[in-house]
Amino acid sequence: MQKELLITGLGAVSAAGSTIEETLDTFHHNRRNAVPVSLFKTDLTYPVFEVKHLPASYCLEGQRTVGLALYAAHQALTNARLPDLSPYRVGVCMGTTVASQLNDLEFYKELRSTGSTPLTAVDRFLKGNLSEYIARSIKARGPVLTIGNACSSGTDAIGVALSWLKSDVCDVVLAGGADELSHIPYCGFGSLGILNEGLCAPFDRDRKGLNLGEGAGVLVIEKKSVAQKRGIDSKLFLAAYGSFSDAYHLTAPSPDGVGLKASLAAALAEADIESQDVSFVNAHGTGTLDNDLVEGRVLAELFGAEIKMLSTKGFTGHTLGAAGGLEAVFTLLGLREGWIPASAGFHHRDEKIPIAPIQQRTSVNGFFAVSTSLAFGGNNAALVFGREDRA
Amino acid sequence: MNVLGIGMLFSRGLGIQAFEHTLQIGWQKPDAVALSEGKILPAFLANLETVPDKSLLKKVRRADKLSKMAVLAAADALGDSGLPYEHKKTGIILATAFGAHVTTFDFLDGILDYGDAAVSPTTFSNSVHNAAASYISSSLGIQGPTLTVTQFRFSFSRALELAKIWLNQKRCDYILVGAVDQYGDVLGYVSDKKSRWAEDGKIRPFLFNPTCAVPGEGAVFFLMSNTRGGNDYCTVDIDFAAGQQIRQDSAEVTIIDADGMYPDESVYRTAVSPDVRITAYSPLFGSTMNTSAFHLAAAALMMKRQVLYAAPEQSNPHNLNLLTKMESASIRTIRCIGFNCSLEQVITTARVMEK
Repeated sequence: MQKELLITGLGAVSAAGSTIEETLDTFHHNRRNAVPVSLFKTDLTYPVFEVKHLPASYCLEGQRTVGLALYAAHQALTNARLPDLSPYRVGVCMGTTVASQLNDLEFYKELRSTGSTPLTAVDRFLKGNLSEYIARSIKARGPVLTIGNACSSGTDAIGVALSWLKSDVCDVVLAGGADELSHIPYCGFGSLGILNEGLCAPFDRDRKGLNLGEGAGVLVIEKKSVAQKRGIDSKLFLAAYGSFSDAYHLTAPSPDGVGLKASLAAALAEADIESQDVSFVNAHGTGTLDNDLVEGRVLAELFGAEIKMLSTKGFTGHTLGAAGGLEAVFTLLGLREGWIPASAGFHHRDEKIPIAPIQQRTSVNGFFAVSTSLAFGGNNAALVFGREDRA
Repeated sequence: MNVLGIGMLFSRGLGIQAFEHTLQIGWQKPDAVALSEGKILPAFLANLETVPDKSLLKKVRRADKLSKMAVLAAADALGDSGLPYEHKKTGIILATAFGAHVTTFDFLDGILDYGDAAVSPTTFSNSVHNAAASYISSSLGIQGPTLTVTQFRFSFSRALELAKIWLNQKRCDYILVGAVDQYGDVLGYVSDKKSRWAEDGKIRPFLFNPTCAVPGEGAVFFLMSNTRGGNDYCTVDIDFAAGQQIRQDSAEVTIIDADGMYPDESVYRTAVSPDVRITAYSPLFGSTMNTSAFHLAAAALMMKRQVLYAAPEQSNPHNLNLLTKMESASIRTIRCIGFNCSLEQVITTARVMEK
């Protein structure tokens, strides 16, 4: 079963690029496209990673998250050469934070001040359930579910896709995550004191918090038998998913990393591999003091201090519900291309963390790679991806 | 997949016993809420003050009402099962249609009143969609996979489907799967504009068109496992059918999720068989996106007690084969039927557990 779930399509849009090719170019040249907020008015000055170019047909009024997700989904379907989904049972499982909440500030402001307002924003919300919207748009005929697991939403969505496919409730799944840069979490993360006035520096000794970003990352995952029938042969596959909770605190990770350790152990066991079989880890690496300390210690303990490790949030910012989807795409690109970019923003080793991310573009030629997510609420999730011609 | 324990917090109190009592005595007048335009209308609201044991509430004192309802119902499901649980082998799947919208609007109040730089971090943390599941996990010490899902009308049904898959794949030995949603002023405003509110507080689920709604809130949780033990209510299966409706003739009872949230619920007429008795209990707990969770609890109770509970509201202009009185019966199968706004159908089947 390990190599039975092929990744046949990738789609990504973020501040690192509006296409896979642009993203690889950004990674290659180590560009960091952070800007002041332009998407909404705010008194705060924390830099963010906004998507620079979203084609006009995907700019949906009041539904930027949906537009980002659709754009990435269409990229992934094109990449998978799946123009007609009608012969297949296609599921859609997307993670998000912003699109799962009715939080339109203008709607609420008017309702609060006048006691009455049109329901346009409500209607948009009711029609904008992320997975349902995509399923309707691409005429998918399979299970549909939106995951609202905060920052691990995208990773968990891919994990749910794995479970669906293994239990044969569908043949193909579009899975990943999407989130727009929103005024609400921008203020919220600011209030928590974890936004960086400068650029984020994951795992760095002098890290001072995260930058928010936006985007969408989508995978087409399909059963090998289905892909083979339509003449598609992908070397990339989804091997495993593990998820455990810290049961510790609403916003802080457990200092001993109990949930992350259990998630990684479960994922490696499902993939039927040992930690030394893992070529590299695309870490959650937000650039906050707590996350990077706990995650770095757990990764060093499990994989050893020499494991190639990076955080791509230096290129995208923390894209919340999109992060797991985008980072799954980036992990697969590493396996596909045979190299991973420098962990942008890292300069000084933190002596409290027994592992350091890579500081330059690095070749990878191993069989398996891991992507991790840690979330608000103590959720932890890990995915294992493989490359079949090496595994 | 077996139901081993049920927990619930709703307008009539905490616990499956409170729900059973409500099923026995029938409709009771709901609370009243004031809308912004000065209207006073009925709603079924959960009252945390009536919870007798405050120790768990003390543990989650910083949580909002949504999370507190979820924690109480989840703990109640574990308690109802009477089973010890292994922390890492128990998962949580929480379904919610609207999440912490009341807290989200509180947070927006902060932005509007005090500006972007002076909002409350506690309010923000509680507004995050998975806060309720997190409080369940931390307050009960559950370390298995913990997921929050949202799919409007099918939130609970899809959560139930995933629970079944996870148990079959042995990702967990036990899963707390449940649904929670809360009433709030903004939702009240939206309900008033979008639905016809039953001013007398009576949902009439068999009218179909036009419908009338009474907003409700609450949390329902089930402890599920592929093993037996605990309270052993029933086994559960779930199926989805897109673009077709399936008549069910082999069940003793069909429970329909009609609750007045859609202006036209005529689709239920075509989904039921004249040979099978029909009921709906939404008049007892109100119109919520989680009607299917309440109805699964009702089906499980009927299976366990081998008792059929009368439909609490029996306006029946279409001469359906209604369950009109409470009676003992030999029940092997109950089907719960729901539709979403795209008219996709979900059928949750409760079956008696074989000895």
